[in-house]
Amino acid sequence: MFSIRLLLMGLLQALALLALAPLLSGFARVWRAKMHNRRGPSLFQNYRDLVKLMKRQEVFSAQASWVFRATPYIVLAAMLLAAAFIPLGITESPLGWMGDLILVIYLFALARFFFALSGLEAGNTFGGIGARRELLMAALVEPVMLLTLFVMALLAGSTHLGVISAKVASGAIPYYTSVWLGMLAFAFAAFVEMGKLPFDLAEAEQELQEGPLAEYSGRSLALMKWGLYLKQAVIVTLFLAVFLPFGSLTPPLPAGWTLVFATLMALAAFLLKVMAFYFIAAVLENAMARVRFLKASAVTWASLGAAMLAFVFYLANV
Amino acid sequence: MDAIHLLLFSVLLFGLNALAALALNPFQRVARVASGLWGALASGVGVLAALQAFTHAPTPLELSDPFHFGQFILQLDGLSALMAGMISVLGLASSVYSISYLGQYAQRPIGVLSFFTNAFIALMLLLVAVGNAFYFLIFWEMMTLASYFLVIFEDEKKESLQAGYLYMLVAHAGAALIMLAFFIFYWSAGNFDFAAFRQSQLSPTSRSLIFLLAFFGFGAKAGIAPLHIWMPGAYAATPSHAASLLSSVMKATAVYGLLRFCVDLLGTPEVWWGGVVLFFGALSTGLGVFYALTERDLKRMLAYSSVEHVGLILLGIGTGMIGFATHQPLVTLLGFLAALYHLLNHSFFKGLLFLGAGALDYRLHTRNLNAMGGLARRMPWTAVAFLIGALALAAIPPLNGFVSEWFIYQALFTGGSGPGFFVRAVLPLCILLLALAGALAAMVAVKMYGGAFSGPARSEQAAQALESPNAMLAGMLILATGCLALGLGAPLLTPYLAQVVIGAFNLPPALLAEGIWVYPGAMEQALLSPPLIAILWLGLFSVPVAIVALYGGYKSTSRVVDAPWACGYGYSNPMSVSASSFDQPIVVTFSGVYTLRTLLRRLLAVVGVTAGRLRPGLARAESWIESVLRPPTTRTIEYLGQRIQALQMGDIRVYCLYIVFTLALLLITVFSRG
Repeated sequence: MFSIRLLLMGLLQALALLALAPLLSGFARVWRAKMHNRRGPSLFQNYRDLVKLMKRQEVFSAQASWVFRATPYIVLAAMLLAAAFIPLGITESPLGWMGDLILVIYLFALARFFFALSGLEAGNTFGGIGARRELLMAALVEPVMLLTLFVMALLAGSTHLGVISAKVASGAIPYYTSVWLGMLAFAFAAFVEMGKLPFDLAEAEQELQEGPLAEYSGRSLALMKWGLYLKQAVIVTLFLAVFLPFGSLTPPLPAGWTLVFATLMALAAFLLKVMAFYFIAAVLENAMARVRFLKASAVTWASLGAAMLAFVFYLANV
Repeated sequence: MDAIHLLLFSVLLFGLNALAALALNPFQRVARVASGLWGALASGVGVLAALQAFTHAPTPLELSDPFHFGQFILQLDGLSALMAGMISVLGLASSVYSISYLGQYAQRPIGVLSFFTNAFIALMLLLVAVGNAFYFLIFWEMMTLASYFLVIFEDEKKESLQAGYLYMLVAHAGAALIMLAFFIFYWSAGNFDFAAFRQSQLSPTSRSLIFLLAFFGFGAKAGIAPLHIWMPGAYAATPSHAASLLSSVMKATAVYGLLRFCVDLLGTPEVWWGGVVLFFGALSTGLGVFYALTERDLKRMLAYSSVEHVGLILLGIGTGMIGFATHQPLVTLLGFLAALYHLLNHSFFKGLLFLGAGALDYRLHTRNLNAMGGLARRMPWTAVAFLIGALALAAIPPLNGFVSEWFIYQALFTGGSGPGFFVRAVLPLCILLLALAGALAAMVAVKMYGGAFSGPARSEQAAQALESPNAMLAGMLILATGCLALGLGAPLLTPYLAQVVIGAFNLPPALLAEGIWVYPGAMEQALLSPPLIAILWLGLFSVPVAIVALYGGYKSTSRVVDAPWACGYGYSNPMSVSASSFDQPIVVTFSGVYTLRTLLRRLLAVVGVTAGRLRPGLARAESWIESVLRPPTTRTIEYLGQRIQALQMGDIRVYCLYIVFTLALLLITVFSRG
């Protein structure tokens, strides 16, 4: 079961996604600006911000304990680990031999646990409010994600992400009504998890998702922000791997130059799909007004409804 | 020594300890130190007994007995040995912890408290090992009684007495149901031995009746909703070292009873029994976690969280029962394995968290989360132990809580992909519930840890708290290490637990673990390797460190400011988000769940008022009954007493005659039966 090749592939993929995540977020920012008729920042502004923050002095409040200082590392490591599990460009889960989709969802919970705790740590009001909102959104969205993933898993007969991805890609699981509904529900959940309007403004501090960041500064802030970018990218990758894996490589792999060419094609397909998702997210975000936070549940119930319908259609075999 | 003899030795040590503590009662300090160390020794022997039973399955031990309907049999099969091991480890932690913890009860009879604690542990050990329903019931009642005295230990507090009363009421209602179930068994088996129960030929109706009686009887003790009402009060009132036992292993004995009587002795269950178990499991999971979230009393919060976890365990048991009923050995195995694994894990982390709550109570003299805060800096080791417990409670990988919830997911998944519309519809919905409960449990855990240990101190005591004494830390660290070991050691532990289930329910053998992996019967379905995940996760910390180092981040300085940023206003501690304001969005969003409780409370209040109106009438009726019934009763008893007095002639020869007469009667009875 132990495979060095897959381990290296997973780590490489996690690092690549880490490097790419700020760019994707920057891409969404640029499109948002264009839709506002603003010029907007450069595509690479996020990287500049991160590098600048790394060099800044850190300030801690006297109330914070070691948990506050360790959280940026914990969150980033958890997100990197989750990234290494998701089939990317190939219908194989690189670390599928040590965990399945349940683990990936609970790795998100690990990151969120410490993220929320860090909001309480410093004793900052915004941090605390951000923490409790983050956890409420999790309670509303996590069941939707797990139910839709489990519908796919039931169709595939396995909770192994690679198996699900391969079966969808090969057409062994055709696009039933339940898959379409599941896709809709999961896309919605992913959209919420990315911290977008109408519930959230991922760019704005004192706002919801970045609430717990209120007290962070310097390199810790840089790592936390990077962790959030990575989380967005990982969620989108997960969505694509389970619901839209077309264009991905499928084992057995060809040899020689064909492999190189096929890999490049698969990566290009992946990038296109990711950018399309970010673009659609940016459009949706622009088209929506800000909603009072406590009204969020009215919308998330709809996504739960879609997930339930997906399940009902799965039961009825359509 | 044989495992059963070792267990008896451990029980004997606990018994001696109980008596010694009673004798040492006047010497406070000696009593608590000696009793704690002796209890740790006794627990150690208990752990040895359990380990011994796992390696060499002992033959049941039959002791001679005066009653024809019940042989005193002791047996340690896998299930019993697992329970005995659990009770011993929790007993060990609790005993060590109590050495310092009891120091706060300077003006109280510590010896008496130790007497009941040790008797409680000894009785639980006997309970899980006994192989006869009659003695099971006796130990069950005695255990309830011992724990009742633990609940009302702080008897000057009104809420302790109320909690104890309610506990007694529910426990006895449960015991009555269990007793009825046993009598139906006895009716057909003619004997109270488990072996006879197992072979009894029951009609389907009486089987279902036994199942329902035993399920609700044991469920009352395990705290399934809506029979959980006694738990928050009782756990909050009990001294924490004992509350950690009540919440973990006493609950485990109830689940043990459920498994033993509803599944093992009754044999192959009906599908709808599994449905009943799943329904109450789902109800407990949902209600428990929602009610836990809005508490601010730490121990009540933990109690509600116990309701949730009992629900999770029942989800496993229910899945196992459905698998058993529909002859799917893998589903059966996974369901029961997940339930046992989660029971074990729950004992460890809930025990740990109760010890932690006790440590906070010991230093701060409060259980109110709003009066804590900032304790991670004052009590760093307590904070680390509590954090491990909270992470396990929230099922965060790679801790033990996650591994057993993973097995519950896999059991539900495997069952849900099986044949039959009912399972295909219901089990995935349980997955949905599990996901919701998981997310809310994370919120509960953040609220508990964050409220107590993060942010600014919200009271004078919190600002000046000292680290817990060493013995208490040692008790907590035993369980915290256990939580880590049970998570990371899953590949080693799973085969043993699988063996227990396979042995108890006569299933065909199946592999669930290999090397450093666990899997739900088939590797194609899923693989999980907690140790690899832990190593890789820790290894990945190097990535952010390397990035920061690469950009020269570690060259920049850091400084500490007195207060967090407050929009430019002067910061004061009440600005921080307290434990009670933490759950506000949940209360608003899920208001329906809480309305239900308010409605129920109102209903109960109406019942209470009506009962209050009835009281004068009842009082009159009572006095009337007394005036009518008492004189004749008293007269009869007096008359009988005088008659009986006539037998006592004070002549030794007449007494000898009585003895001979009785013996002859007994002999006749015995021979006529033979």
